Amino acid sequence: MSDARNVLRKRIYRDRFFYFMLAPVIVFFIIWHYLPMWGVRIAFQDIRYIGANEWVGLKHFKMLFSSPVFARVFLNTITISAMKIGFFFPLPIILAFLFNEIRSAGFRKGVQSVIYVPHFLSWVVIAGVFISLLAAPDGAVNKILLFFRIEPVAFMTSTKWIRWVFVASEAWRSIGWDSILFIAAINSISPALYDAATVDGASRFQQAIHITLASIIPTIITVFILNMGFFMNAGFDQVFNMMNDAVINTVDIIDTYVYRVGLTKGNFSLGTAAGLFKGVIGLFLIISTDRASRRISGEGVW
Amino acid sequence: MKRLLLAGLVLMLAVVGVFAGASEEAQPVDEGVTTIRIVGKDFNPSEEWNVQLLRQIEAGFLEYSGKQIALELTQVAEGAYSQLLNLMLLGGDIPDLIYFQGGDEVIANQGLLVDLGPYVASSDVMQDVLMDFNKERLANYPYLLWLAPPRARTAVIREDWFEEAGGEIPETIDDYYALFSAIKANHPDAAVVTDTGNTARMDFTFNQAFGVTATWVMQDRAYVYSKVSDAERDKLAFYQTLYAEGIFDNEYITTKWDTMEDKLYTGAVAGVFGTAGIVLDIYENKLMDNQGVGLVPLPPAQGVGRGYPVSSAKETRGWAISATSENPDIVFELLEFMATDEGQYIDRYGLEGIHYNVVNGEVVFTDEKANWWPRFHEVMSWDAPTAMLGPAGQKGWDFILEYSVGDPDFPIPADMSPTWDALENLYKEYSFKIISGEYGIDKFDDFVAEWYRLGGDDITEYANSVLK
Repeated sequence: MSDARNVLRKRIYRDRFFYFMLAPVIVFFIIWHYLPMWGVRIAFQDIRYIGANEWVGLKHFKMLFSSPVFARVFLNTITISAMKIGFFFPLPIILAFLFNEIRSAGFRKGVQSVIYVPHFLSWVVIAGVFISLLAAPDGAVNKILLFFRIEPVAFMTSTKWIRWVFVASEAWRSIGWDSILFIAAINSISPALYDAATVDGASRFQQAIHITLASIIPTIITVFILNMGFFMNAGFDQVFNMMNDAVINTVDIIDTYVYRVGLTKGNFSLGTAAGLFKGVIGLFLIISTDRASRRISGEGVW
Repeated sequence: MKRLLLAGLVLMLAVVGVFAGASEEAQPVDEGVTTIRIVGKDFNPSEEWNVQLLRQIEAGFLEYSGKQIALELTQVAEGAYSQLLNLMLLGGDIPDLIYFQGGDEVIANQGLLVDLGPYVASSDVMQDVLMDFNKERLANYPYLLWLAPPRARTAVIREDWFEEAGGEIPETIDDYYALFSAIKANHPDAAVVTDTGNTARMDFTFNQAFGVTATWVMQDRAYVYSKVSDAERDKLAFYQTLYAEGIFDNEYITTKWDTMEDKLYTGAVAGVFGTAGIVLDIYENKLMDNQGVGLVPLPPAQGVGRGYPVSSAKETRGWAISATSENPDIVFELLEFMATDEGQYIDRYGLEGIHYNVVNGEVVFTDEKANWWPRFHEVMSWDAPTAMLGPAGQKGWDFILEYSVGDPDFPIPADMSPTWDALENLYKEYSFKIISGEYGIDKFDDFVAEWYRLGGDDITEYANSVLK
């Protein structure tokens, strides 16, 4: 027992600089992610500005769920999230594959730098860009459609199109940044595998499928499962900046609803109740996706 | 050693980052001096102009009341003011004088704000400067004081296109339609007017004329929410025509306030609806810079009624006194002083030597005046020795004085707010679809039926119990 303890001490001493560098991250998570969990109790309280908060049980959850539009808002949230995960999630993986096929290092780095940039733009700016691009009939996209004799489409005010605008703008903003993880995973694959496959006569496509894709499947599964934890976060900033009155009932999500009805009126308990509700669903989705993944592929997060 | 230093630096930066933003230490105050802590939007102690303003107010207040006060500003972090303010108050930091821009009802309901009713009733100054709608709002909700003109939006049209279309000031709805049509005929590539995401600005010009005379209107001897009234239906039909003919900007739904202004300055629209007062001057100056023409302000249309409806529900923003303040009387006296001629001089002219100079006994504004705004009140009846408004801004104020019409309204109770939110969203979607022509005007009946089904029945019943 004491030998094991000594080994542990030696290892900690050996890696002390790494632990030292890890410390700020741990402090950050404790302060900003674990201590605030205690604040979740205000979902069950009426906040008092002076004196102790008043325990009201499920009052704020009832208020949230009893709204005549909650079902629609909930459905909008799920639909938009599902569309983003379904259509956007594969794109960074495909992009990482394409980058892996570029032989010129200079060209690859240049393109990577360019596609990372949108990630650093705020949704206010991106919304402005998309509203201008998609304006009907004078936006650039509609001008192109007109050139091909296709009727202009009011993308931003169409209840049919607006959710696809969300998916497209999310992809434009995040595809480059989200591909970093997959590029790193691809770079960690041993070149010897490719050399052996080449000797065996495997084509580039076969190498991509049987070496590259097979090697990064654990990364893909981990990222997918972790993304499921954020499933109920359909993107407040994006929706808030891109929504308008014409489509409000199609894109109003839990976050925008709670912002209007709760936070702007100082009702933080309602916001906390909504956050807790989303968190519980997220936790359930993470665990169930992890279990399903283990059964199907043998891979999971834990 | 280098690695250790590097790691130490990273840790230090992280800790500093986490704990940054500690509050400033309060200045020591002499005995006999009452300290008043203030929190306001964009009214931070880090700005030198604000600090200089406070010193001038202290001096002015001493002369006015004979009392010495020390004013301290509380820093509010950058961001959504109403939420950050609420968080600050929740943290137990409650200044004496608080500016609210939403989020005040929860706090007032807990008895944390002073009832200003008795103070206002016994104040000669306030009785002089408060307009009727202010008094009605205070009667409904006596916690917020806001001395400023009603935020009515005045229609303004660029002068050259207006003159080209005949140059007659429109009176009736038909006059407006004739003017707009003439402008459209002369400039087919431009829209005549636009709005910002809904028709709220344009409604100031047309609501009364169509019979949308208040938030709750009488119909069949009962109060009906105006947006489900017959008058609203007529108005939406008119807007539908304007939209179909390209008079009303077909992109108004995605237009924000900045793009609205841009459309005016670039000639994409002939006119907009702007807040009466200095905002109209800004529009005119920028239009002059860009197109070399001025603006013509237009009055509200004449019809069933005429005017700018001013809701009496409650102030949506304003100053409140904390119930925890040890000196609420002096805090109110400060609000009172800022409403006097002396207080207005300090608050609205800005700082001597920066925003204005006194030349031969007269105030002459500098270019910096454009960057100054009153921190406390904008008393409409103040007879400024040197006028601050240009022709367009002044005309907008004149219209407000002439055409403001009371709107007996009431605040929606908190437990009804989710339903109210749903009903408002329903209106937003239907109104756009009707205006844009996606729905015919017949769909208005479907909207009304759904509005009542979704909870409008209960709210209408409540309205009739409040307004009877």
